[in-house]
Amino acid sequence: MIEFRDVSVTFDGNPALTGVDLSLAEGELGLVAGRTGAGKSTLLGVVTGAVPRFTGGELRGDLLVDGVSVIELPPRERAHLIGAVAQDPAAGFVTDSVEEELAYGMEQLGLTQATMRRRVEETLDLLGIADLRHRELRTLSGGEQQRVAIGSVLTMHPQVLVLDEPTSALDPTAAEDVLATLSRLVHDLGLTVLLAEHRLERVIPFADRICLVADGRVRIGEPAAMLADAPIAPPIVELGRALGWSPLPLTVRDARRLARQTPLGVDKAQLGADRARLGADRAQLGADKAQLGVVVARGVSVAHGTRTVLSDVDLTLAAGEVTALMGRNGSGKSTLLWTLQGGRARRSGTVSTPAGDPARMATAERRRTVALVPQTAADLLYLETVAAECEAADEGNDTSAGRCRSILDSLVPGIPGDRHPRDLSEGQRLALALAVVLTSDPDALLLDEPTRGLDYPGKRALGSHLSRLAADGLAVLVASHDVEFVAQVADRVLVLADGEVVSAGPVRDVVAESPSFAPQVTKILGPPWLTVDEVVAARERA
Amino acid sequence: MNRAIPLGLRSAAVLAAASLAGLLMLLWPLLLSVEPGARVDPPFLFLALLPLVLAVVLAEFSEGGMDARVLAVLGVLTAVNAVLRGLSAGAGGVELVFFLLILGGRVFGPGFGFTLGCTSLFASALVTAGVGPWLPFQMLVAAWVGMCAGLLPRRVDGRAEIVMLICYGVVAAYVYGLFLNLSGWPFLLGVEVPGATGGLSYLAGAPIWENLQRFAAYTLLTSTSTFDSGRAITTAVALAVLGPSVLATLRRASRRAVTSRR
Amino acid sequence: MTRLARDLHPVAWWVWAIGLSIAASLTTNPVILLTVVGCAVTVVWRRRSDQPWARAFRLYCWLAVAVVVIRVLFRILLGGSHGSHLWWDLPQLRLWPTDLILLGPVTGESLLFSLYDGMRLAALLLCIGAANALANPKRLLKSLPPALYEIGTALVVAVTAIPQLADSVRRVRAAQALRPGPRGRVGRLRRFLVPVLEDALERSLALAAGMDARGYGRTGDLTARQRLVTGALMLAGLLGVCLGVYAVLDGTVPGVVAHPLLLGGVAVALIGLTHAGRTVTRTRYRPDRWRTPELLVAGSGLMVGVTGVLLARLDVVVAHPAPMSWPGVPGPVLVALLIGVLPAVLAPPATRAETRAPVEVAA
Repeated sequence: MIEFRDVSVTFDGNPALTGVDLSLAEGELGLVAGRTGAGKSTLLGVVTGAVPRFTGGELRGDLLVDGVSVIELPPRERAHLIGAVAQDPAAGFVTDSVEEELAYGMEQLGLTQATMRRRVEETLDLLGIADLRHRELRTLSGGEQQRVAIGSVLTMHPQVLVLDEPTSALDPTAAEDVLATLSRLVHDLGLTVLLAEHRLERVIPFADRICLVADGRVRIGEPAAMLADAPIAPPIVELGRALGWSPLPLTVRDARRLARQTPLGVDKAQLGADRARLGADRAQLGADKAQLGVVVARGVSVAHGTRTVLSDVDLTLAAGEVTALMGRNGSGKSTLLWTLQGGRARRSGTVSTPAGDPARMATAERRRTVALVPQTAADLLYLETVAAECEAADEGNDTSAGRCRSILDSLVPGIPGDRHPRDLSEGQRLALALAVVLTSDPDALLLDEPTRGLDYPGKRALGSHLSRLAADGLAVLVASHDVEFVAQVADRVLVLADGEVVSAGPVRDVVAESPSFAPQVTKILGPPWLTVDEVVAARERA
Repeated sequence: MNRAIPLGLRSAAVLAAASLAGLLMLLWPLLLSVEPGARVDPPFLFLALLPLVLAVVLAEFSEGGMDARVLAVLGVLTAVNAVLRGLSAGAGGVELVFFLLILGGRVFGPGFGFTLGCTSLFASALVTAGVGPWLPFQMLVAAWVGMCAGLLPRRVDGRAEIVMLICYGVVAAYVYGLFLNLSGWPFLLGVEVPGATGGLSYLAGAPIWENLQRFAAYTLLTSTSTFDSGRAITTAVALAVLGPSVLATLRRASRRAVTSRR
Repeated sequence: MTRLARDLHPVAWWVWAIGLSIAASLTTNPVILLTVVGCAVTVVWRRRSDQPWARAFRLYCWLAVAVVVIRVLFRILLGGSHGSHLWWDLPQLRLWPTDLILLGPVTGESLLFSLYDGMRLAALLLCIGAANALANPKRLLKSLPPALYEIGTALVVAVTAIPQLADSVRRVRAAQALRPGPRGRVGRLRRFLVPVLEDALERSLALAAGMDARGYGRTGDLTARQRLVTGALMLAGLLGVCLGVYAVLDGTVPGVVAHPLLLGGVAVALIGLTHAGRTVTRTRYRPDRWRTPELLVAGSGLMVGVTGVLLARLDVVVAHPAPMSWPGVPGPVLVALLIGVLPAVLAPPATRAETRAPVEVAA
């Protein structure tokens, strides 16, 4: 259905893709995986036509869809063959209501009224969004928006669907919905899907083929074979590799079966002892630092107009601890962060810090008490260069010159000072925002969805930065729906649903109780295991 | 420097003809000659004619298709301008539209500037219920402001560029006020029947010089010293303070939106 | 049986309103003006929806009142009266350093003249305000001729982007409070204008990619010949308009030449506009259709407009009555003008929140 023939792309003489040969058959779902900057987007861009038209650069080779070369066609002339869905669906919407958005592409193709009506109805049913037809796009949730975006290209009846990180902004349940929809399209309509994604653990069960992109080279093959030595892998694969399972399990079900057949080789008693010691260590740490800066919220309620956003939330952030805040999109996570920071007014309840109630402080004092990195880190930045941002942060905090820069270097070394903040990678920009808020030397640090757009090594690096900051005495709160990240970094977890705390406690206990927040290792081996590293460490000791 | 909406010879000719037609419709009080004793009414016909003239220019600009990126940038800048206009509508004389219009014309070229002037005023009228007989005139003059910003010398840069833009902004602010006052003058004050004595109103058929004096007095008294100066000052201050960073932002966008086009 | 609510084609409302404003602009007869205003207000009152643009009609009403008041006050302030019926004799003031005379005697003729003149402008305003209140602006943008499709799309993008901008402003404002920075007023403005603008422009690139991916701009390219014809038509039309306008203004050209020249220019320009959009292969999903009510509404407006034109041509005394005499209007003219109020019954009721919401079948 789709075939690359010796495709190469160079940007200003630097090769981005070299000699790519690959093909996907009709009705296959191909997953494009690779590290950030490896060329995943370039590969997708070649298919959609965005490369070289939007990005510049030089393209050689040939691309065939259904046996016909399309490499010379601009994106708009490929619209009836290839449906492209961008990362942020809301940014790509042209109209403002669901039905009009679905029809927009067909209007451009000049289809007849009757055909348009029929296809809109079919698509509404196919994606299960018929009840949204008259809604305004702005009022939809992230998962709904993503499905409308997929629908808006499906109405043109393309043969190939290309998606760039369709689930990166979604909570686990919404992501499941979108992926299930895609899988239905592949099975029922025989659509060929090419999809790039960082969180492999979500997509691998649905993938027929994996295209691994590394250093501009692309390899394609069966998922199990490809993942055996891939530089990036979901926890399930890492576990399989660590335990020497073959063939590698790709679904939790297969992995469980293997786990039952091959015992872990770690004594249960040993495991229990490990766990007890770990708990004792942490308790000791907690007791030592409990008197140092903490944020304590009691009975916090927040309302938006007449709607309750948070009700009666209790929370304690201890110094030296990383707490994770989980829950669906819209469950009040961001509101809680802003309330703790003091920027959002409470209806009732108290928030106290060693310096007092953040809501009553002047902004400068608030910054020295609680730092917050918002969901869109770029909102914090406004200057033209990284160096200027650092200087502004130093000046504003009356700290010695170079402090912000040294914090930045300790997080991500070597970002050129003359770079525009908007041109940085996702991870670098987050580091810059972090450095700017940390310059004021706060007692607590709050982060809202920091893992968006980060690959596994990026998340691992962020996790270790947060652990180090906590070890330096900071109280850290991370809102995230990335269960694997939470399992890696958090000490305690608080789960919010509809503005209320549904469970709170040490990460092991909370995660073991709720299947939707359990990481893959817990699902496979059962509690108390959380991460592959733990399993490996325990086996080494045993 | 790139031009987002290319102005070919033909587009330039259409633009020139349309501008001439627009200028005639603005300056009619100074050009009208009447037979003595005849009744003179403001030519309401022009209110309907001017939108047609603008439509022809815009159709000419987008003929053969406008690039999706240029269109998207145009839409977004229009929205920002409409919001700025809405924000500044409350405060007398504080008018922030010009500042982004001038910078947009400067960065994206005269064709884009003209279009942005039209769409900005139209969109803001749509959302703030400002559609009225004055709208076509506002659109035309704002379009000229955007266009001329795009025609300023290209090679000036750095601090000199900002100074040049500030000077232009001040001139543009006053000229805009003058033209709009002229378009509203005969409507608001009425047309004087020849023979009557009246200080400020338009005297149909009088020599240009006399009418110019009357108009000068009218515009000085009503708005040049207040609203127009307010507009000139806000535009100048905004250009001085925000100009460099907004220029940089727009230029980044223009590099990404226009240069890689084939 | 009650009539089902639906939104009338926006262009029909505009045609109706333009018809009314033609009639209003061609007369200074207060009775005719009040009749036209009455028609417009009645129709708005009966047929407007509950959307924000419909609520703005009140603004136009206040503006219309202001226009009349300003017009009359200026007349009194600036003096220079004509006519013989002296109403008040105010003291004359010289505005130093000019030789401008303020105030002075106020005659009935001049006062009523400016009152009627002001009412004409106010009536025009109210007619346009009525169209603004009745026609859905978003659908109006979609009814633009194909030649203006790109501009229409840019405007749709702009209207859609405004709420997003508001979100962006709120987000950035909150975020900027999290970091130190310049505290001055202008510095603060920069701190949040730049991120908002960056955000908006970044979004626009994503939007452009989305539009391209969905086939925006796939219209067949025009041939060189077609382009030549379009260009020639547009240019010729505009030049015709230029000459026509000049001829109308310059008294030495007889009206027999001036008006056809102007109309010819307009016609050629219109042909050019349609020609430019001719090769477009795009279609519309659920377009607004012209059905009987649309035709009736537009027709009623046009009838009023034609009445106004005929009246101005044939009966100058009725169209522009002398200020100090009672302005009379013949019965047939009044009846013809009152056709303008018929859309209050002919047009279907506008959709409102309760009719738009999907009706749940009770279980």
